[in-house]
Amino acid sequence: MTPEDRARIEARELTSARSGAAITAAVVVALLCLYLMFEAAMKSIGQPAWVKSPDEWWAWLSGLPGTADPFLLAAGSLAVLALGLFLLLSGLLPGRRARHAMPDPRAVVIVDNEVIAATLARRARLEAGVAPEQVLVVVSRQLVEVQVRPTSGIPVAAGAVQAAVEDELRTNRIDPLPEVKVRIAESGVVGQ
Amino acid sequence: MNQTPRAVNRTVLVLAGLLFTLAGAAGLALAAFPGFAGAWQRGAAEFGRASAAVLDATTLPGQRDSWLWIVAAVAMIGLVLLMVWWVAVQGKGRTGVFARDYYDDGTRGIVELASAVPEQAVKAALGGRTDIVSTSVTAWEAGHDAGLRIKVQPRLGAAPYRIADDVSAIVSTLDAALGRSGPVVIHLAAGARTRMSRAERVR
Repeated sequence: MTPEDRARIEARELTSARSGAAITAAVVVALLCLYLMFEAAMKSIGQPAWVKSPDEWWAWLSGLPGTADPFLLAAGSLAVLALGLFLLLSGLLPGRRARHAMPDPRAVVIVDNEVIAATLARRARLEAGVAPEQVLVVVSRQLVEVQVRPTSGIPVAAGAVQAAVEDELRTNRIDPLPEVKVRIAESGVVGQ
Repeated sequence: MNQTPRAVNRTVLVLAGLLFTLAGAAGLALAAFPGFAGAWQRGAAEFGRASAAVLDATTLPGQRDSWLWIVAAVAMIGLVLLMVWWVAVQGKGRTGVFARDYYDDGTRGIVELASAVPEQAVKAALGGRTDIVSTSVTAWEAGHDAGLRIKVQPRLGAAPYRIADDVSAIVSTLDAALGRSGPVVIHLAAGARTRMSRAERVR
């Protein structure tokens, strides 16, 4: 595996292929084309049209908005606009997946953010000395948010939790290293 | 690791997205602005006259309609086939053959290793571990050597680096045993099974 191959595979693993949007677009365009093909074929062999002949469709289209119910026209246009924006944004936005990469000499290692969050939550919980239900960790690409609800009467040191979570991130060689934000809740809960 | 043509996906999505967005915006503008509707009807009438002239010019003597309709129908069939191809190549590239070589010394023939060979080897190596909920291994076309994708679901709270290092070591052993070194992806994934199963005990 050359470094270029590795970078390419890693980039592909970390971003979405947009298969869902591609299949949606393909199905819509294929259905439209099938219908147009059918009407064009009817026209070319001189048979009566199925729904409307191409001429009638053109007359309808060029007569808009007088030829259609204004409410239906607006609603249909909105639906088409929404579909178009969905496809356009799918094509333009980077589409990052909720994953991080880890360096490894042999393989490309990809870790789901949820897996990282679980291991960070375990470490933060041990550091703060609270039950699993009192810690919530959210991992995104550049930020790790740790929320701890301390047990009533037992204070939790935010600095220690922060240091522990950062150490756990470094130990797991998460690349690039996200920023860590620790929030200790004002009110405590009854400990388990 | 699959062979989805991502550049094609992006390009066609942008094109189709632009078309649908413009059509939808034009429809909304027709419904909302009478000024735009007037311009639209004048432009459409102009275009309709021009295309009617073209259709008349391409109608063969003795025929009722232009042969351009046949061309249009064939073009539509072509577009439909392209769309079918586009759907078919999404997620393509999975293979059942991990390695294949031709030998002509001694008994001549082809030796094939099914993708089940690395799969069973990795599964057996990881089988006894309590910090892993499930393992799946698939082989993918990647040039000469097949690529392996090893998807491991760690138990919630298990340290990712330990599992990654161990799986990487297993892959190196597998390279030595099978004499192949194609690309390998180790994916530590979360899923329904990890969420439903009990969390990793502290160690």
